[in-house]
Amino acid sequence: MADNNTFDAIVVGSGISGGWAAKELCEKGLKVLMLERGGPYEHIKDYKTANKDPWEFTHRGATTAQQKKDYPVIHRGWAAYDRIMDAWVNEIESPYTEIKPFTWWRVYRMGGRSTLWGRQSYRWSDTDFEANAKDGHGVDWPIRYNDLAPWYDHVEKFAGISGSLEGLPQLPDGKFMPPIPLNMVEKDVAEKIKNFYKGQRHMIHSRTANITEPLNERTNCQFRNRCWEGCPFGGYFSTQSSTLPAAMKTNNLTVRPLSIVTKILYDKDKKKATGVEVLDASDNKTYEFKSKIVFVCASTLNSTWLLFNSATDVFPEGLGSSSGELGHNVMDHHYNLGVSGEIEGFTDIEEQGRRPCGFYIPRFANFIGDTKKRDFVRGFGYQGSASRTGWGREIAELNVGSEFKDALCEPGKWRMGATGFGEILPYHENKIYLDKNRKDKWGLPVLAMDAEIKDNEMKMRVAIKEELKEMLDAAGVKNLSTYDSGHAIGHGIHEMGTARMGKDPKTSVLNKHNQVWDAMNVFVTDGACMASASCVNPSLTYMAYTARAADHAVNELKKQNL
Amino acid sequence: MERRELLKMVALATGGVVIGGEFFLAGCKSKDAEVAGTVFSADNIAFLDEVAETIIPKTTTAGAKEAEVGKFMTVMVNDCYEEADQKTFHEGMKKLDEACNKMHGHSFMKAEPAHRKELLTSLDKEAKEYMKTKKKEDPNHYFLMMKQLTLMGYFTSKPGLEQNFNYQQVPGKYDGAVPYKKGDKLFV
Repeated sequence: MADNNTFDAIVVGSGISGGWAAKELCEKGLKVLMLERGGPYEHIKDYKTANKDPWEFTHRGATTAQQKKDYPVIHRGWAAYDRIMDAWVNEIESPYTEIKPFTWWRVYRMGGRSTLWGRQSYRWSDTDFEANAKDGHGVDWPIRYNDLAPWYDHVEKFAGISGSLEGLPQLPDGKFMPPIPLNMVEKDVAEKIKNFYKGQRHMIHSRTANITEPLNERTNCQFRNRCWEGCPFGGYFSTQSSTLPAAMKTNNLTVRPLSIVTKILYDKDKKKATGVEVLDASDNKTYEFKSKIVFVCASTLNSTWLLFNSATDVFPEGLGSSSGELGHNVMDHHYNLGVSGEIEGFTDIEEQGRRPCGFYIPRFANFIGDTKKRDFVRGFGYQGSASRTGWGREIAELNVGSEFKDALCEPGKWRMGATGFGEILPYHENKIYLDKNRKDKWGLPVLAMDAEIKDNEMKMRVAIKEELKEMLDAAGVKNLSTYDSGHAIGHGIHEMGTARMGKDPKTSVLNKHNQVWDAMNVFVTDGACMASASCVNPSLTYMAYTARAADHAVNELKKQNL
Repeated sequence: MERRELLKMVALATGGVVIGGEFFLAGCKSKDAEVAGTVFSADNIAFLDEVAETIIPKTTTAGAKEAEVGKFMTVMVNDCYEEADQKTFHEGMKKLDEACNKMHGHSFMKAEPAHRKELLTSLDKEAKEYMKTKKKEDPNHYFLMMKQLTLMGYFTSKPGLEQNFNYQQVPGKYDGAVPYKKGDKLFV
């Protein structure tokens, strides 16, 4: 390090991807500066509510008038919960423009959304990597499963993923810890589904980044199901529990919070980035930091915001914009729909412990063995669980008093429910761009979102409901009820695309190693890089891409190619 | 997820609608009780404690009064209910008393436990019927509010949770098939 402002590598963002970039680059000996736009959030020490009991919360879950005013977007969904409101971005300070309805869940704080993620961790398969090439939507992925498989191994072993080996081609097995078990009712339903569909459909253990065995300094999951408050045991993967301590251990990492990266500095003669410009969120002063490489891991849409905002006279629409695809092909997983019902029997068992997960039904539509003719392309999966109803259930024959109280303290019937997660196609016209007429608290232009689900997704939603109803019905689940609340892009919290990878600089923003075609020492390894969406939860794939790109970056640096 | 479950449970218990709420799904709308012209007195809290105690009485375990559910109801109504629901709730306290006078010839506070139970049983039936047929723009039924807040306040309270259930803040393990027989304290 020549001076305080010069590093080998700069990592923008401290979420799942940024944490991995920092860890990998530091462990390979680089001096790394990690920039996080939000404030500090320390492992364990800052998990203020994590050890409180329910009665210690004044509103037992509800949010206040001020929070409602400050967090209108978060109040559209189910995450406005008093215990975690500090996590969400202040929407008044950091607005965005909705050309079409778009739900953007943001955490501007150390660790980003890595402390608040859903933790479901599934590998992509070649069916996913080949999808664009086969049906012609989007551009072909520049890599295949075999290119990423060793990196999935690498990240799974360190992150700690619990799950079962199933041998399913659509959901490759990984390096798993023992799974978090299905309960007896789920096992029964799983068996019935397997028999009914003659082994073509599967209800399996969730694969989740909650550890079932101790790992490094971390204690295994204690089944509190309060992950979002931060886990004092380090029971699930987050930047705080995992990648940050590993990176710190190398003594190669410098972390600078409250640092809004406003620009990647570009040298048009060398055709390379030279560093970044930072606006300090606390003193509003501007700083420059220099580095040989820059990893952009600011979360999908903010990574692209940074590229937009790094426009120069060479690239007036933003760094990486030469293909015309920057900001386009925004994707998500569409959900907010599912089925639930009652299960007879099993009245002599209950559950002990609160699982942070449940079951998973992998894709079967438009896949080998699917006997039905589909009016849509791609596929979907389901996540759900079964449990006994508790004190809140309706007891028709009782109204008030001691019998009513006693009845509520006994368990009710078992219920099972699941939610569908469907693939959204990469549509060029689904896009984001800079709204130059609107500024955030720091005077920076905000993003405008112009994206929606279309005919293919709408048809898929019909099938998601019908197929789940059929499966649960076949497994003997009674009184089924279906819901569908519609889907605005972003609501799945799986926003992807806007700086896609590809084989050709004319039609993509990044090459096969996540390098920006227009500036090869800039790597974008979060969800922005995605060229299609699959239907499985994406974070594990971002981890694998990031580790793979970091390896490539260091090799290229050694060869003096960057 | 935990909260979604809670919501669903409260909704199921009381016929599918969770009042106030927007209070869970959309947060509190009106924070300042003064603005809505609805301030709770100590008498109101005592009254609500008795209503709650009638819904969830002391048995071998604590009742709602011991769990301070009356006070909890006022906090929730003040901080989290919409103005229209606040009004319904306040008027509801009067209506409940009037109904008691009509049924038993004296106020709720003076009524003996059996009469209180008889009254609230009939109000619960009335509320369930009303909610089944009400139009969206019609006000919610006050007794539904009181019952929902009572269940929520009681079953998330320290005595409510610890005395009725096997509450474990740190379960430490998961078992998906623990034997259960009537009378066992449920794991929560």
